[in-house]
Amino acid sequence: MARQQGWFALILALAIAAAALLATYGLQLGLDLRGGSQLTLQVLPAGAIKSIDQEQLESVKDVLERRINGLGVAESTLQTVGSDQLVLQLPGEQDPSRAAKVLGSTALLEFRAQKPGSEKEMQGLLPLKRQLEAVLAARRPGPKPAATNSQSPPQPPKLQELSDAERGQAFTALGLKIPPTSSELEQLEALQVEVNRRVLNLYGPPLLTGKDLTSAGRVQDPTGNAWEVTLGFNREGGEKFAALTQSIAGSGRVLGIVLDGRSISEATVGPQFKAAGIAGGAASITGNFSSEEARDLEVQLRGGSLPLPVKIVEVRSIGPSLGAENIRSSLLAGLAGLLLVALFMILVYRLPGLVAVIALSLYSLFNLAIYALIPVTLTLPGIAGFILSVGMAVDANVLIFERVKEELRSGNTLIRSIDTGFSLAFSSILDGHVTGLISCLALFFLGTGLVKGFAVTLAIGLVLSLFTALTCTRTLLRLLMGYPGLRRPTYFLPAHELPVGNA
Amino acid sequence: MTVAPSLVPEPRFRINRHRWLAWIGSGLACLLSLVGLGLCWLHPSIRSPLKPGLDFTGGTQIQVVRACGSPSASSGSNSDRGANLPCPAISAPQIQQELARLELKAEGSDQLPNLGSTNVQVLDKGRSVVLRLPALSPDQGSAVLEDLNQRIGPLQKTGSSIDTIGPTLGSRLLQGSLISLLVSFVAIAAYISFRYSGVYAFLALVCLAHDVLITCGLFAWLGLLRGIEVDSLFAVSLITVAGYSVTDTVVVFDRIREQRKALAQLPVVDQVDVAVDATLTRSLYTSLTTLLPLLALLFFGGSSLFWFSVALAVGIGVGSWSSIGIAPTLLPLLARR
Repeated sequence: MARQQGWFALILALAIAAAALLATYGLQLGLDLRGGSQLTLQVLPAGAIKSIDQEQLESVKDVLERRINGLGVAESTLQTVGSDQLVLQLPGEQDPSRAAKVLGSTALLEFRAQKPGSEKEMQGLLPLKRQLEAVLAARRPGPKPAATNSQSPPQPPKLQELSDAERGQAFTALGLKIPPTSSELEQLEALQVEVNRRVLNLYGPPLLTGKDLTSAGRVQDPTGNAWEVTLGFNREGGEKFAALTQSIAGSGRVLGIVLDGRSISEATVGPQFKAAGIAGGAASITGNFSSEEARDLEVQLRGGSLPLPVKIVEVRSIGPSLGAENIRSSLLAGLAGLLLVALFMILVYRLPGLVAVIALSLYSLFNLAIYALIPVTLTLPGIAGFILSVGMAVDANVLIFERVKEELRSGNTLIRSIDTGFSLAFSSILDGHVTGLISCLALFFLGTGLVKGFAVTLAIGLVLSLFTALTCTRTLLRLLMGYPGLRRPTYFLPAHELPVGNA
Repeated sequence: MTVAPSLVPEPRFRINRHRWLAWIGSGLACLLSLVGLGLCWLHPSIRSPLKPGLDFTGGTQIQVVRACGSPSASSGSNSDRGANLPCPAISAPQIQQELARLELKAEGSDQLPNLGSTNVQVLDKGRSVVLRLPALSPDQGSAVLEDLNQRIGPLQKTGSSIDTIGPTLGSRLLQGSLISLLVSFVAIAAYISFRYSGVYAFLALVCLAHDVLITCGLFAWLGLLRGIEVDSLFAVSLITVAGYSVTDTVVVFDRIREQRKALAQLPVVDQVDVAVDATLTRSLYTSLTTLLPLLALLFFGGSSLFWFSVALAVGIGVGSWSSIGIAPTLLPLLARR
């Protein structure tokens, strides 16, 4: 009796602790339950690096984390998965395509001076480059940056158009053939790629890179139409920048700012900097950016460039209403199902059935508390795993009570029947749970994503179920048997099933 | 009256008397499943035993809900203003043709996705539309969504989802699922050989194969007749079914082993009959208590769990059948006293 009370006190203490845990930490809901999007990024080997190790993955993660923080998306999480993947979760209604763009680019910034003797070719290329940029910007889908600012004067119309004839001219000037079955957009893009390639050819080697950056910011340019990105260099970077600008000051050659192999800005340096170059360790990129573009660039530059390129391999997004609908109906269904099970247990097993329902309620409480503690992020498959583990826990109780009934039918006393029932049922309960756990292990270590969430909740449920069936149910039942008023076989079995003379 | 037989009540239900019926029933179901899987494989548009979903093939799935049709959908936000109006009629081929004309921007070195191969499904009387496309980048996905909004909109802002799975990720998922299934089979067989014997392990695996085959067969037929696809949740349900099947079988085996000594003088067939009869109530009750939450999920659960629940419910039903009707009836053939 004293032993039972000790166990009972322990179970009670655990229940209170579990409830407190749940109340403090709460449950973490997965994206499929509360809406949001999930991006999977694959880190690609590049150059001398043939396979990605943990350290490189972490360094990529660091850079991405800085960028995410810069973007100001709330409550996002970035996790490494496997040996070469990262998973970013963006809860709520946040646009995954923008995050994808900011995270997916390497953001390698280079400052390169134009090679001497190429002034003429550059002068031919730059106007076409500007025009192409303007035309493409005007055609880009989505809100136009100029339209949001009512004060901005209308853009010169000729810049936004490029007639068929002009386009043809540009193709021949660049020595390209117009691809036969291409749309206007494709032709414009092909032109842009070629112009960029030629411009890059005219630049010297990168003398200064984003590594020497200490800060990045953005300001609106004096006309108020566009944004520029400001840069601050460390001492070494400032000196390099000064030397670089000095070398081309007053020569008419340009300083190219190259981001991920794309020339994003070309600036001339006035003759007044001939003596010392542009000193002070600060510069700005004027690339006719919209405020959002400027901000994204700023975030990328401030976060540093990625040591290895990444590719976005998966995007899953779920509208929050879909998530809310899912969770409500699944939870409701789960509860209804469990209620039916409870009713069934009490009807079929009477007093021990009631005990089992109490034990199973404790079981659910412990389960949820462990989810909050670890923490396990609850997803739809996770909920399914939970419901199934409840099924297993119920099965354990059914096995025990069937055995108890059998013992009673064969004429054993009540207390003895209970004890024998528990010990006889033990081996099949153990085997069932162990085989279940084996499947969970295989799923957890070999499965991916969704499958893992299911395996985790089912495994937690199985381990707990062993504990509750063998401890909680047993302790509660024995404690109740301490009261003579409850020690009646008819509380366990209908009277007609009992052997004569025992009822 | 000797002591041993008096401990054993005459079984009310003798499974081995009906064993031919059990074998024929299960054999037919297995045959039907194999035919389903074979037909699926031969079907020109499927070409695999089960119709693989997005999770395995890779690609982009866009699901949108139009802001019309259902009066309950009016949540007061601006995008849902048209919530009470009936949906203008749309047809899948029409959307498909219009999408094929949409120009997407190429990204990096990747090939431009061909929107002409889009699979369009119109659901809920035109209220929601599901598109299956080749894998799109996030920007391209938004462009398609924007295009849809213009053609069949207004769309509910909060109801849409875009899922993209890269082709390599899809095959990795398939590989992972198959490997974890096989590994768990082998590990379970090893455990049962260790706890019982090789014959029992073999029978447990026969049951397991039987249950998994019938569940797969059902989904092969569903794929053929209703276009139902299997996703990673289906793989999860198969593994769960496998686990349940083994648990169920083990309970019967445990009983046979336990009473072997007490019933040593009876033939194996009778030993099995007694064990099955003794565990019959438990088997039925357990399947019932497991099926109750599943049925609740089936009828009231979210749409995303519907086919998952179907697979589990069928698998668990078949699993408890095989633990009563297959493993115990085959045991006397294989096990000598």
